[in-house]
Amino acid sequence: MNDLLFKALYETLLMVFGSTGIGILLGVPVGVILYNTSQQGLQPCKKVYGPLSFLVNGARSIPYIILTVLLIPFTRNIIGTSIGTGSAIVPLSIAATLLIARCVEDALRSVPKGLSEVGISFGATPFEIIRKILLPESMAPLIAGITTVIINLVGYSAMAGTVGGGGLGDLAIRYGYQRYDTVLVVLIVVILVILVQCIQMLGQRCTNHYRR
Amino acid sequence: MPSLNPHLVVQNIVKSFPKTGPEKVLNNISFEVSKGKILGIIGKSGAGKSTLLRCLNGLEKPDTGKILFQDQDFTDLSSQKLREVRQKIGVVFQSFNLLSTRTVFENVSLPLELLRLSDTERQKKVENILNLVGLSSKLNAYPGQLSGGQRQRVAIARALVVDATLLLCDEFTSALDPHTTLEILRLLQDLNRRLGITIIFVTHDINVVKELAQDVCVLDQGEIVEQGSVESVFTNPNHAITQSLLSELLKNDLPDFLQQQLHLEGKENDDVVLKLIFGSQTSTKPLIANLIQEWKIPINIISGNLDHIGKATFGHLVVSLKHQGESTEKIIKYLTDHQVGVEKAGYIRW
Repeated sequence: MNDLLFKALYETLLMVFGSTGIGILLGVPVGVILYNTSQQGLQPCKKVYGPLSFLVNGARSIPYIILTVLLIPFTRNIIGTSIGTGSAIVPLSIAATLLIARCVEDALRSVPKGLSEVGISFGATPFEIIRKILLPESMAPLIAGITTVIINLVGYSAMAGTVGGGGLGDLAIRYGYQRYDTVLVVLIVVILVILVQCIQMLGQRCTNHYRR
Repeated sequence: MPSLNPHLVVQNIVKSFPKTGPEKVLNNISFEVSKGKILGIIGKSGAGKSTLLRCLNGLEKPDTGKILFQDQDFTDLSSQKLREVRQKIGVVFQSFNLLSTRTVFENVSLPLELLRLSDTERQKKVENILNLVGLSSKLNAYPGQLSGGQRQRVAIARALVVDATLLLCDEFTSALDPHTTLEILRLLQDLNRRLGITIIFVTHDINVVKELAQDVCVLDQGEIVEQGSVESVFTNPNHAITQSLLSELLKNDLPDFLQQQLHLEGKENDDVVLKLIFGSQTSTKPLIANLIQEWKIPINIISGNLDHIGKATFGHLVVSLKHQGESTEKIIKYLTDHQVGVEKAGYIRW
């Protein structure tokens, strides 16, 4: 029983943080492009912003479990199989990328316009303004946003069972619900609550560090 | 005011914002500033001051007209060239615009990072300039830990650290209390004298112009209605806007208690209250003393505000004296003959 639980926890952590990592890697650039090409951005461009924003919003409005199913062919192409923890990371990473992209856009927008103007008047290029001024200054809301995304991903990862991804949620359904093991369900819920609390606390600390 | 050594020349700038309305925010603005001079641009809110300043550092592009900085027109430069020109112009903003996640040192070093200077060079320059603005003890503080005046000092240091020769200041005192304002004004004067920096600033506060500027442009509804040296414009204001701005400096309202007791019809034994206005044309003779000595009239000085701009006296005095019909008129004539403006404020019984 213990082995099962530890394995499931490991799978959950792998799915959540793996997809968070990929989400940050892909989502930050997408978010920067969203902000930069928007009306308030440094290089407004409706032709880029319109479709990109539509895509991000559209994909976000698909319920996660359906997104997973829709992405099965795509996942099979990348991983080689559509079943297993590794395969579950693919749709989770896509979801994370979309959520984080919006987070980044909102966080960048929360920086006072005057600060970009400082950069412009010092002769900084748009890239320098984003890297040296906007991203550092938006660290606090950015980390707060990413914390929320990670917590969302914990919830999403519970649905990974549908593609054989394993994890705590899957364990709770298969052993707890289908085999009437109430103790196991309660145990898993407690572990999930503690996990989310830890993520929230850590995120809060990082946010406070950047809030001056 | 043509000069031999213009640092910045503005020629016939027109700017409108088609999105908000067809009217011109700036209409045919022309002026120039010589090296090492301090120019104040004053106007009421909505006069177009900030837009003008934003044109000067390229944050806005004028519809037509030229801006020559060191003989280079930067209204039609490529964005790369424009960035190079900007690096020689320092800007100080109304709301400081410091980066909250960077220390004082890191804030000031930002423009140098953009120039890709080495660490040691940056260190030297930043410490130098922070010394100059009197903040060398706050290197590692964050802006959130500083007072308004200190933040503005950091902003000034940041603007000048690239060896800027021109400093543009946008309403840089409006977030500061009067005492701190004075400190910052002294600092700017000092920097102007020691480093020979040309300063152009925008304000709605006539006091700041009086304290800091050598030349002044009065802006109203997008047009320059008056310009010249502070001395000549202040002592001889021609435009109604200038006069109304100057009246703030004079605070020539009567004291409250007097306002309440004043009546318009003079009776026997009443005193007449006169407001005497002094300007650049006023005679330098001791007029009040003469009235008392030669005319044997006791004069009661109620309030006053006299100041000097350059060598000229200007300001006002409120006085009261016995109301004696004809002789009152004679006194008024005597004063106006010596170019003192006289307004009869009313009558009062003490």
